[in-house]
Amino acid sequence: MSTHAATKTFTLEYVKTIGLTTNQNGRGFVNPYDVAFSKDGRIFVLNHCDSARRNLMRVGICSYDEEYLGEFGKGGGPADDQFSSPVAMAFDSRDRIYITDELHHRVTIFDSAGNFINKWDASGSGDGEFNGPAGIAIDGQDNVYIVDQHNSRVQKFDSNGSYVTQWGEAGSGPSQFNLPWGIAVDDSGQVYVADWRNDRIQKFTSDGKHLASFGESGEGDGQFYRPSGVAVDSDGYIYVADWGNERVQVLGPDGSFQQMLRGEATLSKWAHDYLNVNLEEKETRAISNLTPDLPPQYNTPHHISSQTEPYFWGPVSVRLDGEGKLYVTESNRHRLQIYQRA
Amino acid sequence: MSSQEIGQMAHLLRRAGFGATRDELEEYVEKGYEAVVEELLHPGDPQNLPDDIIRRYHTEQSELRLADGAAAYWMYRMITTKCPLEDKLALFWHGLFATAYVKLNQARVLLNQIDMFRRDGLGNLSTLMVEMSKDPAMIIWLDNNDNHKDAPNENFGRELLELFSLGIGNYTEQDVKECARAFTGWTLGNAEYMASRASRDSIWPYSRIAWHFEYRDYDHDDGEKTFLGETGNFSGDDIIEIIVRQEATARFICTRLFQFFAADEVDEAGEQLINSMVQSYWDSNHEIRSVLRTLFNSEYFKSDQARFARVKGPVELVVGAVRLAGSYRTPTQGIEQVARQAVYMGQGLLQPPSVEGWHEGIEWVDSGALVERVNFVAHEMSNVNNPGVRRIIERLATENGGVLSPEKLVDQCLDLLGPVMVSDSTRKSLVNFAARQGDLNLTDHQTGDDAEQRVATMLGLATSTREFQLA
Repeated sequence: MSTHAATKTFTLEYVKTIGLTTNQNGRGFVNPYDVAFSKDGRIFVLNHCDSARRNLMRVGICSYDEEYLGEFGKGGGPADDQFSSPVAMAFDSRDRIYITDELHHRVTIFDSAGNFINKWDASGSGDGEFNGPAGIAIDGQDNVYIVDQHNSRVQKFDSNGSYVTQWGEAGSGPSQFNLPWGIAVDDSGQVYVADWRNDRIQKFTSDGKHLASFGESGEGDGQFYRPSGVAVDSDGYIYVADWGNERVQVLGPDGSFQQMLRGEATLSKWAHDYLNVNLEEKETRAISNLTPDLPPQYNTPHHISSQTEPYFWGPVSVRLDGEGKLYVTESNRHRLQIYQRA
Repeated sequence: MSSQEIGQMAHLLRRAGFGATRDELEEYVEKGYEAVVEELLHPGDPQNLPDDIIRRYHTEQSELRLADGAAAYWMYRMITTKCPLEDKLALFWHGLFATAYVKLNQARVLLNQIDMFRRDGLGNLSTLMVEMSKDPAMIIWLDNNDNHKDAPNENFGRELLELFSLGIGNYTEQDVKECARAFTGWTLGNAEYMASRASRDSIWPYSRIAWHFEYRDYDHDDGEKTFLGETGNFSGDDIIEIIVRQEATARFICTRLFQFFAADEVDEAGEQLINSMVQSYWDSNHEIRSVLRTLFNSEYFKSDQARFARVKGPVELVVGAVRLAGSYRTPTQGIEQVARQAVYMGQGLLQPPSVEGWHEGIEWVDSGALVERVNFVAHEMSNVNNPGVRRIIERLATENGGVLSPEKLVDQCLDLLGPVMVSDSTRKSLVNFAARQGDLNLTDHQTGDDAEQRVATMLGLATSTREFQLA
């Protein structure tokens, strides 16, 4: 069973899958790491790619109905509109998209047509400098929160890009981080950080006062193994990309466990298109069991996901669109699984 | 501790591992030779670079779609493991039960096979060979997915007898046929779909799907078979049990282990050691750990005669140099290049040239490969920013009052690099080179200054010697 609910008051239901792996530019995804949504409803997909396929690095744009709409930031490289290891994205209220790059140590800003606008690229550990910027979130006032992973801190900037404040240091206590990754901000401006190697979510006020920590190491309900992404809906429910456990968990506003998703991907429109012209694969796939029972040596979530196509594999990011639909970005399966509240 | 003890321990770690730094050697010598052998034979926590770190910073090593990323992933393991024999032995089995990416188009399942070699490589040979026969990468590699009850395919059965155990001359064509019948029905889950994807190198729609073993009872020939003189309704497990009881198997496996761990060439004394290894094989009910214990504790292995009697394989050379230099201990973008260096030298991890594996020994070294070998090691060892090089500089500075004569510089560098035993003429050449700039003064040395560069240059030269190419 891929999904179970602890209470009847909260239930996420699977909607559909978008995506297809590709080894060229254009339609399809290459190790996607994050999604963001423009005001007109277009879906921007950050194709993180890898060092062996740098030429495929880009931001791809598609519609909810899988219409390919374009791409920018192509090719991997040092130019202002290129990336080296892009990690996360967020739109501000002016429909400008901010993209972090952990190897370039910079945040690049584009308009929603993909034109380069600006960059913040001071490398270091001082105020406003970065060492491996990872997660990014923007609040209703266009304050920008950036996880500065190797400096073990969160930095806050105003809408003009001016440094505002920071918090965090290396460690495992409250307000301490161990290679933090994703970040989210809720409607009231409270900030949630996926404290990746401490296996928890930390919650802060908008100026960095520690409010709570949720989770501990493990595979049980409410436990995490290397959470990479976090999102919060308008009711305060917290969605966590439990990356190391290859699953998504939902917590209530008080941190209580609500639901676990293991993934239940189906064929996307693009996947159908592929199989319809590759009939040998389509026919042999039709007689296959893609959720098999596995020998005991493959008993880790990572191994299970590598053999079980519908399950999440590399669920790096969770994001909510304007309608509250949850998008789970799977780096290793090159697709987005979409869920919505019942 | 004596230089003899250090030399002997360095020899053990070159063979049973990928070499060791002087600091590590001194810790090992404190424990004693036989205790270290037991430690190597009973691997615990390898404390290698953790998977979560690798997967976060190397996307391709999380997905493991292609051979390059998978080879780099294994490189990290070999470079950072605290249980080197576990991976050295996996490399041995990888060369013997050679399975290659080129036909599979599946990197992850090859690494799963390597995991199996780690898990079972030191144990009972029958367990290992059964697991090898069930390994989905091996099944596709040698077509056992096409070995059906009503249409046997003999490819796996033939190689099992010819290349993996008995050797030519120790079985008949009828044995091959009967062996193949016993392995009918041994296939992989969703075999038709996975074989189709493998043959088309398909990554669609959602990347590779890893493989697992599946037994199809309806496709297994359960009839009576006669194999190596024994008759019964044999399954694949039964066939393996018969194979591991054969004298030819014991001698074949022990000889291959001898050639990988002791010496490229088998002389008369080597034959005697192989006899002892075979006896350990029988005494231990076919346990590889016991066979290796006999090898490593033998007088032959510990003798001067056995030292530097093997040409380092490319992977041994590359991993050994990186471990000595202390580089690539954390996620580093260039790790794929490290794996590729071994390819340029003739040994691509997970890409053996055929089911016969690699031709080893002196065949590793042709003029092209030699240039690659020398350049890579010299590059690693002449970088003063590498932690291992910095440690050697620190030792040279503190153990010699900061001032070294040309002779002392050469001898100390050779010692801390191995010790490396070079010929008189090689040593003389190195000393002549060092003497051009007189005594070396490391007092108040700073990172990258001229004094440190002189050490780095000497380390680069010392590792460019013929002797450093040998294990």
